[in-house]
Amino acid sequence: MPMTDNQGSFLNRISIRRNQVSNMENNHEQDIEDLELFQKHVADRFSDLLPNDPPSTTDSPAIDQSPLFSISWFRKLLDVFLCCEAEFKALVLIGRDPVQFSKPPLDRLVPDILERSIKSLDICNAVTHGLELVHHWQKLAQIAVTAFEQKPMGDGQVRRAKKALNTLLTSMMLDDKENNYHAKAAERTWSFGRRSGGGGGGAGNNNKDRTNGTFRSMSWSVAKSWSASKQIQAMASNLVAPRGGEPTGLAVPIYAMGTIFVFVMWALVAAIPCQERTGLLTHLPLPRNLNWGQALIALQDKIAEEWKKKEKKGTTGLLDEMQKMEKVAQNLVDFAENFQFPAEEEKLEEVAEQVAEMAEICRKMEEGLTPLQQQIREVFHRIVRSRAEVLDVLDQIGKMSPPVPY
Amino acid sequence: MESPEKNDAVAFESAEKIILRWDSTVSEEAREKMIFNGDRHEIDRYLEAVDEIQRSMESTTLSVSDDHDKANTAIQIAMARLEDEFRNILIAHTNAIEAESLTDPSLSEEDCRDTPRAGDDDSFSKELEKQESSTSSSYRSTNSIREVDLMPSEAIYDLRCIAERMISAGYLRECIQVYGSVRKSAVDSSFRKLGIEKLSIGDIQRLDWETLEAKIRRWIRAAKVCVRTLFASEKKLCEQIFEGLGTATDDACFMETIKGPAIQLFNFAEAISISRRSPEKLFKILDLHDALSDLLTDIEIVFESKSSESIRVQAVEILSRLGEAARGILSEFENAVLREPSRVPVPGGTIHPLTRYVMNYISLISDYKQTMVELIVSKPSTGSRYSSDPNTPDMDFSELEGQTPLALHLIWIIVILQFNLDGKSKHYKDTSLAHLFMMNNVHYIVEKIKGSPELREMIGDDYLRKLTGKFRQAAVNYQRATWVRVLHCLRDEGLHVSGSFSSGVSKSALRERFKAFNALFEEVHRTQSVWLIPDTQLKEELQISISEKLIPAYRSFLGRFRSHIESGRHPENYIKYSVEDLENAVLDFFEGYAVSQHLRRRSQ
Repeated sequence: MPMTDNQGSFLNRISIRRNQVSNMENNHEQDIEDLELFQKHVADRFSDLLPNDPPSTTDSPAIDQSPLFSISWFRKLLDVFLCCEAEFKALVLIGRDPVQFSKPPLDRLVPDILERSIKSLDICNAVTHGLELVHHWQKLAQIAVTAFEQKPMGDGQVRRAKKALNTLLTSMMLDDKENNYHAKAAERTWSFGRRSGGGGGGAGNNNKDRTNGTFRSMSWSVAKSWSASKQIQAMASNLVAPRGGEPTGLAVPIYAMGTIFVFVMWALVAAIPCQERTGLLTHLPLPRNLNWGQALIALQDKIAEEWKKKEKKGTTGLLDEMQKMEKVAQNLVDFAENFQFPAEEEKLEEVAEQVAEMAEICRKMEEGLTPLQQQIREVFHRIVRSRAEVLDVLDQIGKMSPPVPY
Repeated sequence: MESPEKNDAVAFESAEKIILRWDSTVSEEAREKMIFNGDRHEIDRYLEAVDEIQRSMESTTLSVSDDHDKANTAIQIAMARLEDEFRNILIAHTNAIEAESLTDPSLSEEDCRDTPRAGDDDSFSKELEKQESSTSSSYRSTNSIREVDLMPSEAIYDLRCIAERMISAGYLRECIQVYGSVRKSAVDSSFRKLGIEKLSIGDIQRLDWETLEAKIRRWIRAAKVCVRTLFASEKKLCEQIFEGLGTATDDACFMETIKGPAIQLFNFAEAISISRRSPEKLFKILDLHDALSDLLTDIEIVFESKSSESIRVQAVEILSRLGEAARGILSEFENAVLREPSRVPVPGGTIHPLTRYVMNYISLISDYKQTMVELIVSKPSTGSRYSSDPNTPDMDFSELEGQTPLALHLIWIIVILQFNLDGKSKHYKDTSLAHLFMMNNVHYIVEKIKGSPELREMIGDDYLRKLTGKFRQAAVNYQRATWVRVLHCLRDEGLHVSGSFSSGVSKSALRERFKAFNALFEEVHRTQSVWLIPDTQLKEELQISISEKLIPAYRSFLGRFRSHIESGRHPENYIKYSVEDLENAVLDFFEGYAVSQHLRRRSQ
C-alpha cells in the first residue's frame, strides 16, 4: 500500500530517545536539546531547497540540479515536509503525557492544528486535480511537438501544431476566473462559430459545452464557493508566534510545524492551477528571528516575486515547466503564424531548438507529474494519520469525547 | 493510354477537391453544414476522399515535395474537419443518462445485457457481437453490472469511422482529447442528476450528522448506479468506438472521461471515513463500508486497466479507513459508556436512559454482526490502558475462550455499563432504591439480550446466567434492606416476659411493636408505591416474594397476639390492618405513582 511514511533520511538524523517516565525535570533539558535540533533540521532542509546554497550538513544527499519551482523541486519540497512532519510527531506526540495538551497554551493550539489539517487535505485534493489539467496541457503540447518533428515541415503539420498550441494557450489563460476576455480568443481556433444541424440538446447549452469541452477538459471538482486563496488566508491567520517564556516548549515546534504546513500549501497553490487563486497572499507571517524562519523567508520572497509577475502577465502559475511551456508555446505559435512552405533553413533551425525544448518539457512532465501526484497523495495520507493521532490524544484527555447522546 | 500514375494523380486531385470544399476556415458553406448530418452518400464520399489522400501519402508516387506538402495540408484540413464532425456527433448525444437507468442494477434479477442492434453494415454488427462475447465472460461473474446504450448504434458507427481515419493519420491524441472532453460533460450532468455533490472535506466536517446521514444514503444509491451502470456503460461505449484502433485507445478514452468524476465520487466517501468519530456515526459508517465492499468487485472490473490503478487503490484505502473508523467508534463508545457522568438519580429507580441507549446500540451492532465480526479483530483493552484504575472494572477474559473478539467487546460493554450503573446507584439516598435500580436495569439488560437471538448467541448463555443471578441478587438485597426492619417488628423475641401473670406477654411492648410495624409499613408503602418496576412480570414476582414473607408473618403475629391488644383500650390504634389490607397494599408497590396516604383499613 502506498501509505508508508517516508522515513529514509529522517531516521539518520534523529535518534528517538524518549524517556517514558513522566518526570518533567529530568526531561526538560532533553526537551530543549531536541527542540533546538528540530528547528535546526527544519532550517537546514529548507535552506537546501534554495538555489546555489551549499549543503549545510555533511550527511545530506548530493545536490540535485532541480531548478527552483520545477516538478522535481516540488517533489523535494514535499519530501522536506514529510521529514519535518515525522520529526515533529516524534518530538511532540510520541511518549508525551496527553494531559499536557489539556492545559494552556497547548489546549488552544490543538483546534488550530486540526483545522489546518483539514484545509491542507482539501488543498492536496485541489492540487492533484490541478495536475490533471497540467497533464492535459502536456498532451496538447505533445501534439505540437509531434507535428513539428515531422520532416519535411509542411503546411499541414504547422497548422496542426498551431491549432493544438492555441488550444493550449487559451486553456492556460482561462484558468483564472477573471480573464474572461480570452473567451473571444477561443473563437479563433474554431473552424466555425456556430453549430448547425439537428441533434439533441439546446444550441445555447451546447455552445457552452463545446467551449468548456475544448478549452478546459475538466470542471473544478469542488463547490464554486471553495477558494484556495481563502483557505491559505485562513490558515495563515492562525499562525501566531508563541510569546517568549511559555511553560512548555512544545508551543514552539507546534508553531514551526504550522508555519511549514501553510508555507508548503501556499507554494503548491501558487505553482499549480486550482480553483480561485485571486488575492492569494504574497506574504506569510514568518518569524525573522528564528533560524528556520530565515530559510522560509528567502523562499517566500522568491515565490512572491514570481507570483506578482504571474499576476501581471496573466500566466498560469509558478511551476517551472509550465512557465517554460507557455513561453515556448507562444514562440512556436508566432512561428506558425508566419510560416510558409518551404521555410528558410535558419528559421527551421531556430524552431527545431524550440521544439526540442518543448519536447524536453513534455518529457519532464511525463516523468514527473504522476510521481508528484502520488507524493501529494502520500502527504494526504500522512496528514490524515497525524490528525487521527491528535484526535486520539484528545480522546485520552477526555475533553473532546462526545457525551452519549440520549 | 492511362498510366497508373495518372490514375493516381486524378484520384488524388478529386479527393483533394472534396477535402478543400469542406474546409471551414475558408468556406462559409462548409461552416454551415455538417457532413455527418447529411446523407450517407456525402459521408461516404468524404471518407473515401480522406482514405485516398492517406493512401497517396503512404505510397511513393508523391515524391515531389510540393505534392507531398499538398497532401500534408489536405490531411490536416481533413483531420481538423473530422475532429469537428466527431465532436458534433458526440455533442448531439450527450444527454445525461436516462432516468430509468438510474436505478440500482443489482435490484433487478434479469440479466440485462442489451442485445446488439442490427447496423447498416453486417460486418459492423458482427464486430459488436464479437466484442460483447469477448468481454461477456468477465461481466457475467457479477450480475450486478448493467450497461446501457449511451447512443444509437448509427452514431457509434459514424464515430468509429472517423476515429479509424484520425488514428491511422496519427491524430490519436486529438481524438482522445475531443472524446474525453465531451463525454466528461455528459458524465458530469449525470452526476448532477444523481445528486452527487461537490463538497470539500472541510464542508463535510462542518455539517451536522443528520444531514450527513441523508447524504451518505444518497451517495450509496448513486455510487451503485455510477459504478455498475454509468461507468460501465461509458467503458462499453469506448470499446464500441475504439477497440482495435491504436494501442489501448479505448482505455485511454475511458480514463479521460471518467477519471475526474470517479475521484470526485470517491472523495466524498473518503471525507466521511476520516471524519471525527462519535458513537452515533457507527451504523451509517457500516452501511457505507458494506456498500463500498459490495461494489469492490465491480470496481475491480470496471477499472481493471493499469492506468486506473490509482482509483482501485483509493477505493481499497477508503474501505480500510472505514473499517478503522468503525473500530475507533466502538472504542469511543466504550469510553463514553464508562465515563458517562450523569449523577442525577433516575426517579423511582427505573430504567436509566443510558441502559436503554447502550442496549439498543449493541442490539443494532448484533444486526450488523456479519460486518462487525470481520472488522473487530482484537479484544477489548482492559488492564493495560487502565492500569489499576479504580474507575474501571476488571474483566477476566480467560474464561471466555472461544468467543469472537466482537462478542468479547459486547460483553465488555455490558460489564462497563453495569459498572457505571453501580456508581450511579450510589447516589440514591435510600439503599433499597439503589438495589431496586440495579435490579431493574440488569433485568432490562437480560431481557434485551433474550430478545435478540444474534445478541444472545454472542453474549452466550453462561454470561446470561451470571446477569440473571445478578438481578436476582439485587432483588434479595432490596428485600433485606427494606423488609428486615419491618419483619423485625413481627418477631417473637422480646415480647415474652417470664414469670408474668398474663401468659408472659408484655402488653406495652406488643403495642410498641404494632405501632412500629404500622409506621414502618406505612412509610414503606408511601415511598415505595412511587418507585417503579417497569417490567410487569418482574414487578409481580417481587410483590409476590414480599407477600410470601410478609403475609404469613403478619398473619401468625396477629393470630398469636391480637387477643392481647383487643383486650385493652383502643385496639384499632394498634391493629390497623387486616391481612387482606396488607395483601392489597402490596399490590400498590412499584406502580410508580403515589397512592392515598391512608391505606384501606379493615372494615370496622
